[in-house]
Amino acid sequence: METVHTLELRNVTKKMKGKNVVDHLSFEVRKGEIFGLLGPNGAGKTTTIRMIVGLISMNGGEILVNGLDIRKNYEKAMEQIGAIVENPQMYDYLTGYKNLMQYARIMPGVTRKRIDEVVKLVELEQAIHKKVKTYSLGMRQRLGVAQALLHRPSLLILDEPTNGLDPQGMHDLRNYMRTLADQGTSIVVSSHILAEMELMCDRVAVIQHGKLIRIDNVTNVTDQAQARVHFLIEGGLPEAKLLLSEYAPEKAVEVSGKELIIEASTSQEIADINKRLIEAGFLVYGIQLKKKTLEERFLEMTGKGGGVNEVSIAGQ
Amino acid sequence: MKFLSLVSNEWIKIFSRTRTWVFIALPILIVLGVAIYGKVTADEDVKSNWKQEVTEQNKELKSQIAEAKKDNSPKFVAESLENEYRQNQYALKNEISPYETTSWKFMKDMAPISSLLGLFVIVVASDIVAGEFAKGTIKMLLIRPYSRWKILLSKLIATLAFAFFLWVILVAATWLFGSIFYGFGGMDQPYLSVTDGKIHEKLISEYVLANMGLEFIEFAVTVFLAFMVSTLFYSSSVAIGISLFLTFAGNALVLFISSKSWAKYTLFPNMDLTQYLDEGLQVVKGMSLSFSLGMLAIYSALFLIITFAVFQKRDVKA
Repeated sequence: METVHTLELRNVTKKMKGKNVVDHLSFEVRKGEIFGLLGPNGAGKTTTIRMIVGLISMNGGEILVNGLDIRKNYEKAMEQIGAIVENPQMYDYLTGYKNLMQYARIMPGVTRKRIDEVVKLVELEQAIHKKVKTYSLGMRQRLGVAQALLHRPSLLILDEPTNGLDPQGMHDLRNYMRTLADQGTSIVVSSHILAEMELMCDRVAVIQHGKLIRIDNVTNVTDQAQARVHFLIEGGLPEAKLLLSEYAPEKAVEVSGKELIIEASTSQEIADINKRLIEAGFLVYGIQLKKKTLEERFLEMTGKGGGVNEVSIAGQ
Repeated sequence: MKFLSLVSNEWIKIFSRTRTWVFIALPILIVLGVAIYGKVTADEDVKSNWKQEVTEQNKELKSQIAEAKKDNSPKFVAESLENEYRQNQYALKNEISPYETTSWKFMKDMAPISSLLGLFVIVVASDIVAGEFAKGTIKMLLIRPYSRWKILLSKLIATLAFAFFLWVILVAATWLFGSIFYGFGGMDQPYLSVTDGKIHEKLISEYVLANMGLEFIEFAVTVFLAFMVSTLFYSSSVAIGISLFLTFAGNALVLFISSKSWAKYTLFPNMDLTQYLDEGLQVVKGMSLSFSLGMLAIYSALFLIITFAVFQKRDVKA
């Protein structure tokens, strides 16, 4: 039997002003997974999210939530989704609690006990009976998370959830997300901030110009194979570079400031390179192993501006 | 699923706004103020010597009629003056004092307040959809497990219920204050009206009841119009402005187009249903109550179809 994914997009396309803002986008999100949508502003992340929650219509393709086509079973599909789309705008003339009551009333199975539970989870007990207009951006964001979690959705969608959160708030949010995912909730997060995605996601889909560039496991990013070795050297960098190229012609060598950078190697290789540099009379002040960040790889991928085929799928 | 919860959510939102309480309190205060003012300034002399007063009025009216005919004013000006003159004569002959105030007479006199209520209803109806788009709260609502038409229908029902509520408050307040200040009773008090130059004697209570019913229909159509404008525009102030302009400028417009043969098929001449209650004096000719009700039904259906079609299809980027 085919496994039913919590969320599945098949060739989803959205046209705006004659242009494909989202272009034949396909991916699936597994149960209990935190899935990131990464891309620069205007890449189509928010449009994609708005199509999933039914705020924007599709021009083509299908979206399935736990196997339910959102166009054919809209209400059933939406029951399983909790979402924050961009900033969570709440009724600022109501208290936080009354805002939650608004949603509790119209969702199945939300009791007062559940509301209290969620309020405690997002640590808004102190302010919940104050009007939302007195809330800080971070408090609004947390109230947004609370409304999204109320009905225990199996799919949680967070569009740029860390906007306006302080470092503590971001840390807390990551913890909630991990706890929920461990309990089986699937989470889709969008962001243009790479460091965040690296910290919170299991897999990341890179989107540009509405197209899927690639999907990566975040753990791959930190693989040894993606690491690079930096040698800090005094003087004669071009000569040193030549020396390394002779030693390992298959590897790319770069010069950056006083550093010589070479792609990841085994410990033995690093020792060998060091020995050669010293023997050739270079003074080595330091050796550092640096992991390639998601950011660097992201820039590599999107900077080429090429299609999917041109991007090498390293680390897989 | 729980459609009524959607309606009660809207109801709660309406009543959580400060302005709503102003909309409720203001008509009550005005009615109370007018009742007290009328009581305090009531001229007992005029009341007992009303025949003399009415006779003097008629002298004045006679010269005004002559003047209107000389100035070539529109025909209906002279006509309405003449009607008033004849009513006075009838009153003198049959001893029906126009200065006798009862609670029902008070209710009849306070009928124009309903246009103030119309204004409040327009504000609420214009804001209920556009306001949520402007603030961005609409997307938090539309991601719930309800088809869009259900969400829109819940807003429409809540607005109509609010209009009905305001109207009940006004009717209750005028009756109560009228009764307190002018005495209970008066259901059998007659009043005069003129249709096609003939004088009719009718019961004020009948007039008041018919007037209330017709006004509520006008309210409903106003709600449909403002609701459509609210759905078509993203900003609530723009929606309120347009709806108010249409409603009030519409009445002025009627005068300009009144001579055109198609005038009776436009919305605004049909919006004033109370024109059929008395006077028999219509700005646009060739219309009847059933004709107007029919036209209003057609316009209402049109407004609602546009509203729901647009709302169903719209991409929400707020």
